[in-house]
Amino acid sequence: MTDLTNINTALWREITESCGDIRKCFNCNTCVAGCPAAEGSPPLLIRNLVRKVLLGLEEALLEDETPWLCVTCSACEEMCPMGVHPFEVCLAIRRWQSRNDETFIPAAISEIFETGHTQALGQVREKRRAVGLDEVPPTIVKFPELLEKFREMLRNTDIVRDNEYMFKD
Amino acid sequence: MKYGFFLGCNVPAVRPDVERAIRLTMPALGAELVDLEGSVCCPAFGAFPSADETAGLAVSAWNFSIAEEMGVDLVTECGSCYSSLRIARKKLLEDGEKREAVNRLLKPAGKSFSGTVAVRHIIDVLYNDVGTETIRGALKFPLEGVNATVQYPCHTLFPSEIVGFDSPPGRPRMLQELVEALGATVQTYSRELQCCGGAGGFTKGSFAGASEFAFKKLDAMKKETDAELIVVSCITCLEHMDRMQNEMNKKNGDSACAFPVFDYNQLLAVCMGFDPSQVASISTIPRDGLIARITRS
Repeated sequence: MTDLTNINTALWREITESCGDIRKCFNCNTCVAGCPAAEGSPPLLIRNLVRKVLLGLEEALLEDETPWLCVTCSACEEMCPMGVHPFEVCLAIRRWQSRNDETFIPAAISEIFETGHTQALGQVREKRRAVGLDEVPPTIVKFPELLEKFREMLRNTDIVRDNEYMFKD
Repeated sequence: MKYGFFLGCNVPAVRPDVERAIRLTMPALGAELVDLEGSVCCPAFGAFPSADETAGLAVSAWNFSIAEEMGVDLVTECGSCYSSLRIARKKLLEDGEKREAVNRLLKPAGKSFSGTVAVRHIIDVLYNDVGTETIRGALKFPLEGVNATVQYPCHTLFPSEIVGFDSPPGRPRMLQELVEALGATVQTYSRELQCCGGAGGFTKGSFAGASEFAFKKLDAMKKETDAELIVVSCITCLEHMDRMQNEMNKKNGDSACAFPVFDYNQLLAVCMGFDPSQVASISTIPRDGLIARITRS
């Protein structure tokens, strides 16, 4: 039996604020049937995540790492017969987890803060020259003054302001 | 036809030969590409959109503002960039509060989002703007007698209301027709529409599960087709289909799975006579044998 003595009755409101209504989900499993990550171990079972949110199972949800397995293919968004947005639910749960436990905050965001990218575009000069391209691509890596403005913008966002120590200049 | 070429992160860093192939083929077919100077990560779904939605939308809007100033639509090969930017644009257009919050963030950098430019995937541009007739007419080395399979980028299919351009959404055909325009025969198989599984956190978070998922697809391709190559049009499909064949061979202790994988523009570039050492030089599964056959060298 699921223990419902310690639940957060406002959990569904916190999460659905940014992913749309999930109350019509009746656990039909369509989102799982078409999901690549449902073949993971442990599997990503979006309908179970929706149950946890609707029942207010806050502790269980905060320990659940399966939302991070999502392939982002969005087949579930196409197929859901109840108009729920399962992929958006997945992202909304990740955001809720990141707000409540900083260890969930993806390292990729500090990489983007530092360089503008998730790859070290400034360190592939030889590889690019070998195929006849400019050594530095015309993205923000080529324009240091723009990168500074980009960081200034990000410093004004909640995630960077609240977790300042994660972001280096 | 003029487009802002959105590079993203992986194409210019990991497979710059794809960037080179796109930069050579598109203008030769009448599709002029301009650089989006100062662009950043789309951002990837696993980055800002997984931590702070407004911050994620601001990063997307940073990219849009560059294209808006130049008055060009964005075109990208990367499926994730395409989907991330399409979804962000929809949210920004539909939610006035979010748009205002994002514009407040952009303002000190002298930027703004107004939603005047669209995001296009390169398959869409190749098929609908360039056209298969123009492509047929530009070939130096048509693919006579070559069997191929195609890998549709999942991010260009679902949700079809936001990202879709092929029709019907459940049975895309544009990439197949583009490959047929090169002279190849495209063979379909039971798992053709299965996504590669390489995007997001699946491979990182559950390597064994993600590998088995890809092996099923590759097994089906081996059993059901005589394909000599796989054609993709997404940097993640390209890297992942290449890498997973290597993983499958390691697991089986052989080298039986060896489909060369090409991004469409790479194959197009080879067929148009561009230098293979520039447009198709980086891969795990060797492509040289097939390239030599195509170019009769």
